[in-house]
Amino acid sequence: MPATVNPLRPVAGAPRPYHFPDFHRHQLANGLTVWTVRVPSAAVVNVHLLVDAGAAAEDEAHAGVAALTAQLLVTGTRRLDAGAFAEATERLGIEVSSESSWDSARAAFQSLPEHADDGIALLAEMVREPRLDEGEFDRLKAERLADILQARADPGRLADEMFLHHLFDASTPYGRLSAGTPETVGALTLQDVRTFQATHWGPGTAHLIVAGPVEPDMAVQAAERYLGDWTGGRPGHRTFTPKAAGARRVIIIDRPGSVQSELRVGHLGIDRRSPRYFPAMVLGAILGGVFGSRLNLRLREELGYTYGARAGFDPRRAPGPFSAAAAVQTEVTADALKEMVDLLTRVRDAAPEESELHEVRDYLVGVFPLRFETTGGVAIAMEPLAVFGLADDYWQTYRQHLEAVQADDILSAARDLVMPDQFLMLAVGDASKIRSALEAANLGPMELAQAD
Amino acid sequence: MPDIPIERHRLDNGLRVVLSHDDSAPIVAVNLWYDVGSKHEKPGRTGFAHLFEHMMFQGSEHVDKGEHFALVQQAGGTLNASTWLDRTNYFETLPSHELELGLWLESDRLASLLPAMTQEKLDNQREVVKNERRWSVDNQPYGTWDERIQAKIFPESHTYHHPTIGSMEDLNAASLEDVGEFFATYYAPNNAVLTVAGDFDRDAALAMVERHFGPIPANDNLPPPPDMSISPLIGEALREEVADRVPLPRIYVAYRMPIFGSDAFDDLSVASDILGVGRASRLYSRLVRERQLAQDVSVFPFPIVGGASMFTLWATAKPGVGADQLETALLAEIDQLAAEGPTAVELERIANLHAAAVESSLERIAERADRLSMYACLFDQPERINTEVSRYLAVDADRVRRAMADTLRPDNRLVLTYLPAEAPVEEAA
Repeated sequence: MPATVNPLRPVAGAPRPYHFPDFHRHQLANGLTVWTVRVPSAAVVNVHLLVDAGAAAEDEAHAGVAALTAQLLVTGTRRLDAGAFAEATERLGIEVSSESSWDSARAAFQSLPEHADDGIALLAEMVREPRLDEGEFDRLKAERLADILQARADPGRLADEMFLHHLFDASTPYGRLSAGTPETVGALTLQDVRTFQATHWGPGTAHLIVAGPVEPDMAVQAAERYLGDWTGGRPGHRTFTPKAAGARRVIIIDRPGSVQSELRVGHLGIDRRSPRYFPAMVLGAILGGVFGSRLNLRLREELGYTYGARAGFDPRRAPGPFSAAAAVQTEVTADALKEMVDLLTRVRDAAPEESELHEVRDYLVGVFPLRFETTGGVAIAMEPLAVFGLADDYWQTYRQHLEAVQADDILSAARDLVMPDQFLMLAVGDASKIRSALEAANLGPMELAQAD
Repeated sequence: MPDIPIERHRLDNGLRVVLSHDDSAPIVAVNLWYDVGSKHEKPGRTGFAHLFEHMMFQGSEHVDKGEHFALVQQAGGTLNASTWLDRTNYFETLPSHELELGLWLESDRLASLLPAMTQEKLDNQREVVKNERRWSVDNQPYGTWDERIQAKIFPESHTYHHPTIGSMEDLNAASLEDVGEFFATYYAPNNAVLTVAGDFDRDAALAMVERHFGPIPANDNLPPPPDMSISPLIGEALREEVADRVPLPRIYVAYRMPIFGSDAFDDLSVASDILGVGRASRLYSRLVRERQLAQDVSVFPFPIVGGASMFTLWATAKPGVGADQLETALLAEIDQLAAEGPTAVELERIANLHAAAVESSLERIAERADRLSMYACLFDQPERINTEVSRYLAVDADRVRRAMADTLRPDNRLVLTYLPAEAPVEEAA
């Protein structure tokens, strides 16, 4: 077969500039902030209502109440029971979602533009006059408990849960899933949900984000009409300083019969407003955020140990985890873990080569317009401004902040943020087949733990 | 209703080219469908089409191993590829001024993959793919469901019988000679569709396509399509029980059904959505919410074209609910819809959900390009991207009832039940 007649990589044309769309912000008298992002070409509208009612707003005795509250909201209003509410929304082509994370809760929908106003009316009815009835509460609670069982049967999800559990000190809420544990969810009552909803779901901390072919006036008028006389909503989130449960250690979670081991390595990371945010994002991508990252190249493309390896920071209002992850075949578990630890450790030795830095940084800068090609992507982009109070020009200056990250910044971030003497190294796999090799690898004190 | 602009071309070497312009953002998608999937695999080489797809990222004459990903990502692009029963697709989304990079990379591996192939690269990607299989199938609760369904719905003589991921044994047997033969047979411009969608200058894009793909010769000996003909019905009721490391029983129900692209496929897509899409769907509202027998439900037809397709449902039992009880309830819902047909309100509900879902999917330029390639590759009709919604909306209650009666019958049904194992399950080697 003859070679292509064009052996040389083509030269790129002139880039067409891209600007993040302008947004308009307006606060109603009751405290609710309306953010409108005009995307004139969009075929759909995205509406996100955020409140300060995430897991950080619940006390530990009621862990999971934030998630259950958010889920229970879609089971109807005083006027419409669960079935009628589902039908009323879905006949408009709308599927309402309602969920919570650590830092906020979000009720949201996407619709064709002609149904957006009706959708906002139903969303408002849902958060203002929720039904919160006993039958649906019992059902969703049982589903949540069963989902925890299901998650623990999945080795990847089990490893994620166990990593958090063993990483954080018992005093740190982040040591459990944001949706709670079987013990705390099992103890929740309908009254807990009603109290949480009445306290934390209100305009005082609420943000309504509307993205799509919508004029700011229309969004504000809709907000006034359906949410203008809504009341309540106290700031919810607690402040805490996450602490680690221990220093460098290896933990095996036995899962007999596993043909792979799910590996996790990491420790405490950074918070969302950290001045190291941008260097940390580039560092995470160099380690395990792009296909050509150090972990993926070595573990997958050189050794064939895994289908993929990744690493990165998970910044929250308080410092969340830094972690690396891979699922590797059982026989190479100890070697793979050693490789991961070595690669993470060596990032502290020297600044990255300019070519490596360019590859990763240029990706993060260049992919910017792709991230916002959907109205959903645009609406989500507004959330950290609303939740964490990032500056209004955050997205306008985002690429400059990334471009400013130099090789020395990566080295300094690596030395401060990657701490081998703090590594929690976790393996979910067949202990009878991986334990002796992990012992021989001598990566740190080792413990065999139970999966609960 | 979507109104996606479409312009079709064909190069002298047979490459079908679809252009779809949209300059609302400075991004462009490059998408190639090769008319080769796991249904083209030979006995003893299951999983090869997918392993081959991995080899397409291992470099070509002017591109080093790893460089394909590196160049696209450094340009600010995203990329991937996937292999399924009917086809293999390769795709990049790029800032629009990097369009030619995507075209060049795709053309280089189509023109000159083999000089870059080595035993070491094949052995490496074989291990990667075996780990992909362990991760997605062998070490995953309920992970064998689709290969078990395919093995029952299609006889051994039909190439949908085996899964795209393949068997460990066959992956171990794959050789460099296989790579060479597969490439020479199927990777030719006259066996592919190239779609460029998004922000580009039409004349410049066409010139680039001609420059990079034009010199690549056609394969004048493309093999005829495999014989996928098969009786429309299984002809008997099939059952399988699997003991797995799962906490809750799960029931899968699968039927042999008419292929993607047929009117009956649209009818059964509507039936599927009435049963399974949204909280007002029949299975969610009755089995999950009202009777609380199921933890979750899911229903979907497979969009495949090889003689027959599969209509598939699953439901996970709530703790304390027996698999038998759930199966009875599930089948009763199917029977009831088949007997009564959907109501006008149900048809209105799924029509609006479907229209919104299509608009939402088509927001992504990569999705638009992929669907254009799909309709061009499978039906030689990229224009179907704009008519699929009206085809779907044209389905009425009578058509749903008739298609369900024809297809969702006991003598055309597999019930596959996963039950929690008492002791740890020995994995297949």
